[in-house]
Amino acid sequence: MADKKMAVSQKVTVYIDNIAYQVSKDNNLLAGVLSQKLNLPYFCWHPSMGSVGACRQCAVTQYQDENDTRGRLVMACMTPVSDGMRIGLQDNSAEKFREQVISAMMTNHPHDCPVCAEGGECHLQDMTVMTGHGSRDYQGSKRTFNNQNLGELVGHEMNRCITCYRCTRFYNDYAGGKDFGVYGSRNQVYFGRQKDGTLESEFSGNLVEVCPTGVFTNKVFSAHYTRKWDLQSAPSVCAHCSVGCNTSIGERYGSVRRVMNRYNSDINGYFLCDRGRYGIGFVNGEQRIKKAQGISQQSFEKVSRLDVSKALAHFRGKRFIGIGSARASLEANVYLKKIVGENDFSAGYSNQQMKVASAQQNLLQYAQSSGEILSLSDIEKCDFILVIGEDITKSSPRMALSIRQACRNAGIDKAAGMGIASWQDSAVRTISGKLNTPFFSLHTTATKLDELTEQYLLLAPDDIEHMVLVLTKAIYSLINEDFDNAHEKQLAKLSTPQQLFISCLITKLMAAESPLIVTGDSLASAKILAAIGKLTDCLAQEKLTTQLNLVVLSGASNSFGLLSLLDKSTLSAEQVLSQFRAKKVHGIICLEQELAAFTNDELALIRASAETIIVLDHTHCRVSDFADIVFPVAAVSEGNGHYVNYQGRVQRYNQVHAPELPILDSWKWLALIEESFESSTMPTAILRKNKLEPINNLVQLHRYFAESLSAWPLSNKEVNQEANKDSGKNQPVARMTKRASGRTSQAANYAIHEAKVTQDQELLYSFSMEGNKPNTNNAMPFTWAPGWNSNESINHYQVDIEGPLINDIENDDYLSFVHSLYDSTPDGAEVTEDKVESENSPLVYFPQGSLFKGEWQSANTAEFKLLTHEHEKHFTIYLSSTSAERQGWNNGQWLKIITEDETVIGRLRCDEHLPDHLAYGDINELTNRNTGVCITLAEAKQSDVLLQLENRQDLYQQAKDSQQKVLQQLKKFDQHIPIRFVAGGLDEA
Amino acid sequence: MTELLKRPLTQLVNLESPLSLSQYISEGGYQGASKALHEYSPKQVLDLVSNSGLKGRGGAGFPTGMKWGCVPMFADNDDKAPEFKYLVANADEMEPGTFKDRYLLEGVPHQLVESMIIGSYTMAANRGYIFLRGEYHLAAKRLQQAIDEAYQHNWLGKNIQGTQFSFDLYVHTSAGRYICGEETALINALEGRRAIPRAKPPFPQMSGLFGKPTVVNNVETLSNLPHILKHGAAWFKALSPDSDSGTKIYAACGRVKTPGLWELPMGTTIREILYQHAGGMADGLKLRGLLPGGASTDFLLPEHLDTPMDFDSIAKAGSRLGTGGLIVLDDKSCPVAMVLNLIKFFAQESCGWCTPCRDGTPWAVEVLTRIENGRGRKEDLDSLHNLCDFMWLGKTHCALAPGAVEPLKSALRYFLDDFEQHIDHGCCSYKQSTNQQTKLKGHCHG
Repeated sequence: MADKKMAVSQKVTVYIDNIAYQVSKDNNLLAGVLSQKLNLPYFCWHPSMGSVGACRQCAVTQYQDENDTRGRLVMACMTPVSDGMRIGLQDNSAEKFREQVISAMMTNHPHDCPVCAEGGECHLQDMTVMTGHGSRDYQGSKRTFNNQNLGELVGHEMNRCITCYRCTRFYNDYAGGKDFGVYGSRNQVYFGRQKDGTLESEFSGNLVEVCPTGVFTNKVFSAHYTRKWDLQSAPSVCAHCSVGCNTSIGERYGSVRRVMNRYNSDINGYFLCDRGRYGIGFVNGEQRIKKAQGISQQSFEKVSRLDVSKALAHFRGKRFIGIGSARASLEANVYLKKIVGENDFSAGYSNQQMKVASAQQNLLQYAQSSGEILSLSDIEKCDFILVIGEDITKSSPRMALSIRQACRNAGIDKAAGMGIASWQDSAVRTISGKLNTPFFSLHTTATKLDELTEQYLLLAPDDIEHMVLVLTKAIYSLINEDFDNAHEKQLAKLSTPQQLFISCLITKLMAAESPLIVTGDSLASAKILAAIGKLTDCLAQEKLTTQLNLVVLSGASNSFGLLSLLDKSTLSAEQVLSQFRAKKVHGIICLEQELAAFTNDELALIRASAETIIVLDHTHCRVSDFADIVFPVAAVSEGNGHYVNYQGRVQRYNQVHAPELPILDSWKWLALIEESFESSTMPTAILRKNKLEPINNLVQLHRYFAESLSAWPLSNKEVNQEANKDSGKNQPVARMTKRASGRTSQAANYAIHEAKVTQDQELLYSFSMEGNKPNTNNAMPFTWAPGWNSNESINHYQVDIEGPLINDIENDDYLSFVHSLYDSTPDGAEVTEDKVESENSPLVYFPQGSLFKGEWQSANTAEFKLLTHEHEKHFTIYLSSTSAERQGWNNGQWLKIITEDETVIGRLRCDEHLPDHLAYGDINELTNRNTGVCITLAEAKQSDVLLQLENRQDLYQQAKDSQQKVLQQLKKFDQHIPIRFVAGGLDEA
Repeated sequence: MTELLKRPLTQLVNLESPLSLSQYISEGGYQGASKALHEYSPKQVLDLVSNSGLKGRGGAGFPTGMKWGCVPMFADNDDKAPEFKYLVANADEMEPGTFKDRYLLEGVPHQLVESMIIGSYTMAANRGYIFLRGEYHLAAKRLQQAIDEAYQHNWLGKNIQGTQFSFDLYVHTSAGRYICGEETALINALEGRRAIPRAKPPFPQMSGLFGKPTVVNNVETLSNLPHILKHGAAWFKALSPDSDSGTKIYAACGRVKTPGLWELPMGTTIREILYQHAGGMADGLKLRGLLPGGASTDFLLPEHLDTPMDFDSIAKAGSRLGTGGLIVLDDKSCPVAMVLNLIKFFAQESCGWCTPCRDGTPWAVEVLTRIENGRGRKEDLDSLHNLCDFMWLGKTHCALAPGAVEPLKSALRYFLDDFEQHIDHGCCSYKQSTNQQTKLKGHCHG
């Protein structure tokens, strides 16, 4: 938030080596020293995880006053900053001790830097050089460990461990992991699992960045390895949920190698979830669309603009329906809507989903009416949390991590009452014990956050809605002090836990200063969202709380960009279908759309009725399979565009590498389509003008939108940047490091001549090591500072440690949401009469979310398929203990789960929180959306169980083979580097 | 009675068959607890203990009254129910050369139970734990017996002896780490966590076991309480001839004529303990040096024999009183081997939290092993000095490594010749001359 960014922490004077510095008083001395861009080595301290004083690396000499020449050694990370304090970094005894610490660590650290994946971006290497430790006194042997197989994502090499405890502090303390720990003692401390096996946390990949050396490595990156300094990187935005974490994507030789965290003080801070870190694999996937289909080419080698124009020319004046996408950029969606016209635009949402979208717009409009929607860093400051109908850990994992931190606020406050600062991590945890910020949750399935809640209830969506309505009523009655009987009666009809839930929740909500309600669309229930609307209305009217904060989540990276484009004329999936049934439409343009809302039969109908199906996508799916024309589009790492996150924050992702032609950004294809169609809604004069000047980059596109659209929401920030292009500061920033060794010899197997640098049509970054330093742009392609080769170098670019970046002065654009879909939900949504729950009410099953399968793009990543299949060898279904007992089934028993069109076998587990008519489990294939499905259960035969296990094993093996195949192919492609001279349109390469 | 007044702690010790509750009561037991519960307010007991000058017997010598005084007590108007609090007896006696607590635990378990009642009453603790060294099987059995008896006779449990005071007491046998002797590591272990010392502040008195106010006292410290209650602060002070109050259980081991332990007035000289009580050095041996208070104290030399064994005097002589258990080095045993043996123990028992201790102690073991085996180099002495400096106070997370360094540091000062001879001659001269004996003592390896 802008005002918080400006809020400068209180500064005091600290004399460091007799020079006065202004240092923040709110953090420890180490953070203070680092914030002055001075070098002080450290290991166990982490800006987000605080201090524990384990490694003893950050020792400095503290002097009593200017006459004190001896001073005493203190650990900077454990020392608070005080006004006028005097410390020495260069004092001999402190310097000697710091070197001794490194040399002690090195007694067991192997000399395997040349073969270590961390080499070149190793914090331990940097710190060793920094302390000056160069020669080895230790004569003994080094201790060795056995490593573990921690799954497909994280490699393990324990011999390199320097025992800083950061991994367990992140995995267990910060992220709430359960399957990782510390074993042994003395200099035989082992960090790992009890036994080999895939790490269960959604945040395991952060171990790679948190570990100061090469104990935990990115296994996918290591399998197709390159040094950090040889990567070509660009600042990007995660494409796998609506949180919008900032990432830095690295590429070499035409294949994407890895995703690293890109620090953003507002959003992701220092951490990403595994979906964000590893989900990028879909870019290299087997199913990528790399060739245009249905275009007759003149040249054998490449598709030209003329080819495309010719192929599309006979569609002039024909009516197309355009289906936008929540995973396509804002630009592409706007463009598509512009081309087909608002009356023929659809989001591919069913009627039900449109209602949800309408309710979301309504809530967002409310949420924005009182200011910006909370960022993750603001969420971490909340003192009351209510989550309704959303498994955040699975749908928007990074936000779940922030909620975990918010849960600590009660303990942090208690510690503050005892004079302990929040950065004193172990002390604060000692004091807070199990004390948590009030946290309540209503959902259909158990979630990983439940353990932090004060109370949670598992309910069917209708019951969740009912609970929210009763809660609203109860608050009304409490405020107005008219305890109307209706409310009492409704309350009395609830079960005891439900009553208790409501009464506790109200008490805690009233006491909260910054309460937060999080909800989302994963249950696809407009009714729940409408009920939350009533709750927020009630709280706002009665001015109960200082400020109620509302966060609404959705599934995809640009769900909210798409949501902002939906209005009353937007077609639902059913309407699209009826248009085709009535043969009113010539064809359909699917923009990065797998049309999940349509059944196979419905798709067949469209295929039969549509004369032309045009698909723009990066990965094959059932829609691209029967399209007439397929345009291969750029995946997130290959193009430029903007995503809108759950706050409405518009963030730009930048091209990391120029893909092989004819892969182009969706909006570039759409520009070609528009040009060919000439059926656009804009005045011909503008069209002519723009035709003379083809749109090459986002700046031109935005200018074009600003001129031709009545409501183009983005500011002209980038346009202005172009105007300042020659002022020097805005020279392109290098995508490669200064020491990138590869670029000039990339094509040496073809010719000895140095390949020309690819020209970027965008203005911000260059495909070269030549250009401005990374920090000259507020979005850094990668982070590096002299002496700091790891991501820890971000310290050098923050105003204050863990604060905003120095260059981060421009605020992001925010979309404002307007409830433009339907009229707001009728007030009739009163508390419904209680359903009579008969013994015969059907058992409804809800799938638990899935990290690896939950988002379409990342689900195409080879490692994610493998992990999914590994997980799906054994399904689990949860039933209430009473209903299991009634059937005489035991925990662990195999059951057949039967729906209308599917039968799978899963293992029974009892959950005493479940009501009788509700079941949940990890079987995602029973229903494609997270809406419930009626199931019947039967005991499974042993032979069926064995058969399913066998089938699943086969599927797993296939996924394994496929992953290996992809890897082999990538390695082969390294020998044939695509060279582009211009990263522009079709004819420019 | 006069005898009791001289040796209050050990007077009732019976290692063969410790006193049952009724026997203990008939010998004057539980009078202190009774007096505290019925006649004194908690504040009065606290003042009494403060006035008595009782200091912690676990090694650090921190005044007990001051430690208790930090515990948050009742609100000003006394009505509110007190916050949950814990009292923990530190019976994790693992310091090499120290066995005084075992003597009390096995010999007179009821004394500790009574002490815990008094202590918990003083700080209004609701629950107590005796954190017992895992190997003390017999003590565990006897303590449990005593606790069961106390419950039966309403010395523990609800409304003890008809008062408003309730207190539960449990024995917890340690899974076995030396570091559990450090009070916050002990608390972590008691909570089921890794035994790693906590960052301070918060001190346990504010936020200890399960986040509640907690006091951890050594067994010997606690055992003084019934007697202070019974006989008063002035009596307790008068037990000792010098500035420290009370008695102390001193012990001696090594090659002395009669190793053992003796309860003596605080401030008894080393000479008296060693020559009067331990019978002097074994035949044919001369005193070379001694560790005055367990393995983590500096060596003292024969010239220090007349130093009184109290906190201040021993500190002035350049060492620490520690646990008061003397470990004696004779002239036929190798000081290098002795130091190596000790530091091996500390390297083994490092919790692995901070770098100097975790990686420094094994490094010292590596260097000392080479020197002892005759493969030392001149530079190794510099390495040892550096390591001592590296692990010194203020540089580590807790006191384990500085304690571990104390014998090494003082050995380098007092027995440097031996180190140099090892290096110059490429062998350990003691091993050759007294091969048999060293093998028996197990000091030298290979």
